[in-house]
Amino acid sequence: MNEQRQITVLQASAITISTIVGVGVLALPLSAVKAADAGAPFVTFLGMLLAFVGLFFMTRLGMRFPNDSYVEYTEVIIGKWFGRIASLVSIGFFAVLTSLVAREFGEVVVTAVLKNTPLEVTVLVMLLLAAFSSRRNIMTFAYIHLFYSPFILIPALLIVALSLKNADLVNVLPLWGNEPGGIPAGIITLSTVFQGYFIMMMVIPAMCKPERAMRSSLWAMVVTGALYILIVAATVGVFGAEETKKLLWPTLELAKATSLPANVLERLDAVFLAVWVTAVFTSLFSCYYFTLYSISKLFRLADHGMLSFFILPFLFVLAMLPQSLIQLNEVNGMISKYGLLITIAYPGILLIIAILRKKRGAAK
Amino acid sequence: MSKRVNAGFNLKFMILLLLCSLLTGCWDRMEIEERAVVLGISIDSAGKDAEIREDEISHLRGKYPAPKQEMIQLSVQIALPGRIPLGPGEGGASGEGAQETVWVLDVVGHTVDDAMMNLQQQISGKLFFGHLRVIVVSEEFARKGMENLNDYLHRNAEVRRMAWLMVSKGKARELMEAAPKLERVPALYLSSTLDDAVKHGKFPSDYIGTFWNNSSKKGQEGFLPYIQIMKGDNVEISGMAFFKGATLVGVTKPFEIAGYLVIKGISPAGYRGIIHVGDDSQVVTIHATNRESEIKVDIKNGLPHFTITAVTEVNVEEKNTETLPLNNSHILEEIARENERSVKELMLGLIQKTQKKESDIFGFGELVRARKPSYWNSHVKTADRWSEIYKHTTFDFRVTSKVRRVGMKAE
Repeated sequence: MNEQRQITVLQASAITISTIVGVGVLALPLSAVKAADAGAPFVTFLGMLLAFVGLFFMTRLGMRFPNDSYVEYTEVIIGKWFGRIASLVSIGFFAVLTSLVAREFGEVVVTAVLKNTPLEVTVLVMLLLAAFSSRRNIMTFAYIHLFYSPFILIPALLIVALSLKNADLVNVLPLWGNEPGGIPAGIITLSTVFQGYFIMMMVIPAMCKPERAMRSSLWAMVVTGALYILIVAATVGVFGAEETKKLLWPTLELAKATSLPANVLERLDAVFLAVWVTAVFTSLFSCYYFTLYSISKLFRLADHGMLSFFILPFLFVLAMLPQSLIQLNEVNGMISKYGLLITIAYPGILLIIAILRKKRGAAK
Repeated sequence: MSKRVNAGFNLKFMILLLLCSLLTGCWDRMEIEERAVVLGISIDSAGKDAEIREDEISHLRGKYPAPKQEMIQLSVQIALPGRIPLGPGEGGASGEGAQETVWVLDVVGHTVDDAMMNLQQQISGKLFFGHLRVIVVSEEFARKGMENLNDYLHRNAEVRRMAWLMVSKGKARELMEAAPKLERVPALYLSSTLDDAVKHGKFPSDYIGTFWNNSSKKGQEGFLPYIQIMKGDNVEISGMAFFKGATLVGVTKPFEIAGYLVIKGISPAGYRGIIHVGDDSQVVTIHATNRESEIKVDIKNGLPHFTITAVTEVNVEEKNTETLPLNNSHILEEIARENERSVKELMLGLIQKTQKKESDIFGFGELVRARKPSYWNSHVKTADRWSEIYKHTTFDFRVTSKVRRVGMKAE
């Protein structure tokens, strides 16, 4: 293993944060109010807790096997063939996730901004961008994420803060919403928006101090959780739960309804979309990189660079399969929910088996 | 040696890449001349002859049958490129009336989109709604329900949530054609009339987005400014048009807007009121400057009961007779007390008016939902049920008024 092990705790957090914050931000308040109307911020918080359980399992596993990729230690834990099948399933999931991210990005752009640009072009451009960037090694990957994360976090927080002046506290009361029956199912739906944390599985073997991985996981979850809860609270605070249910992309609508003080900019949706494109790029980049990385580990390839363009057409075709936005959302919801088996249940089971069988990787 | 060759190649490659960026364009590029920038829209109910006037543009008899909805007449104000002054010094040539900055067109149609299609068939440029500032609907149209209009505007990604939607007394189309003298662009004058009213405490901030938010809430209904065309193409805010769902159910008097603002505690305050002191011949005019309020909700006898505590600060502006002395604090207290009584009456009157029409424009229901969730969940739950309960809710008013200043005149 001749790879660099230089990723710091800060870089690992930045990677996880900018991977999690992505396309999902736009529709996030919608799924939150569907689950718990006025209790949307609360259900987001609970979703974050559930997601953190998954991240905890993953980080623990990674720390047990600080030198190996997840493909390798799966084979150690549950045997060669089971491990390979499980890895293949996860690779399939991450590939589908990548294409769905690209497609959702395309849909937003075509609906709200560039109405005449063909969907295929926006999706392809985004995928190409990810493909080009993915040819580099993991340090470049870390630097790109570290560089972009402030450009995502700061403007997003600024928009939320500015929109709060139109918000009304009554809209987010009572805390648990008026129909708490939807909360349990809502927690599961909401935890899917944090699914990007799986990137930690790839980051840990490249960290210079893998024993401190838990710290960066915790930080990443706290920051994204806070950002998401703030976005949901601001959106529901401004529009009210019932109006939020009517909006396809409430967060975009929030940016549209927010103006800079003194009318410097009457609507912030342009600013927001610029931030959002960056956020989508970083998540797409992570998903793409992760898919490549997993494939190259599974087939024991020395380098993943050559695969980068090989999988592009497959992802592109996958992205183009849904017929409409509604269908895309249905598929997306289903895939993300079953994905929880891969991102929460699966690492949990692996961890338990690893503990029971006393399997442990060599120390660094 | 080979390293240097490599570096040279990289440099050339970089330059080539950078040059490529000069060749990029925008797929959605559209010149301003190709756009028909819509600044204002008005919607009226169309007369009986509308069906005859309409061409078969978005439907074809027998094949794509037209919807059975009652027809509407839609007018738009389109900005004329090059005529809109961009700065104070520009376009000052005399003789050019304000009328010439925009072009007013009207069409009929079955639905809003249908009418837009009919309009687009006549106009070369593509209709663009990114700068849409005002939408005026006539009272007649609003009383029939505006679901269709709300849906159209909601779906359109170009429409901003900070446009003004208003209801006009009489024909809405007249407001599109009116050319007030203060502003070169009529639609901008309309929207700044409302913006200034908000700034001066004469109307609550109520953009189209706010209206939608309020209408969709289960414990609240929406309201809109009710305007009327006056002498000299001017407009007057003559009340609040309040809704039940998407249907207009009533209109308040202009002064009742002040009642709404007091209940909601919106500052700055801008209304002036007349207070009778002593016998009826003596009056002073007061000017409210500041308002604050707090609304509490309790459940009494199975029905919500609201306690509204409101504080207003007022200044005395004029008096009608010299005999009335304003030289001690007792008289000011008397004025304050008299004002408290009037404000109470005003608030009660306004609330009763909306109760009668089951239109809770204040969001009392939202307070119940937020503060008394167990009551809401077991007794209310839906918007329909709330509007029924709203009719029977009771109120307590605790109004305090304080006279702060009397202007520059002693005595």
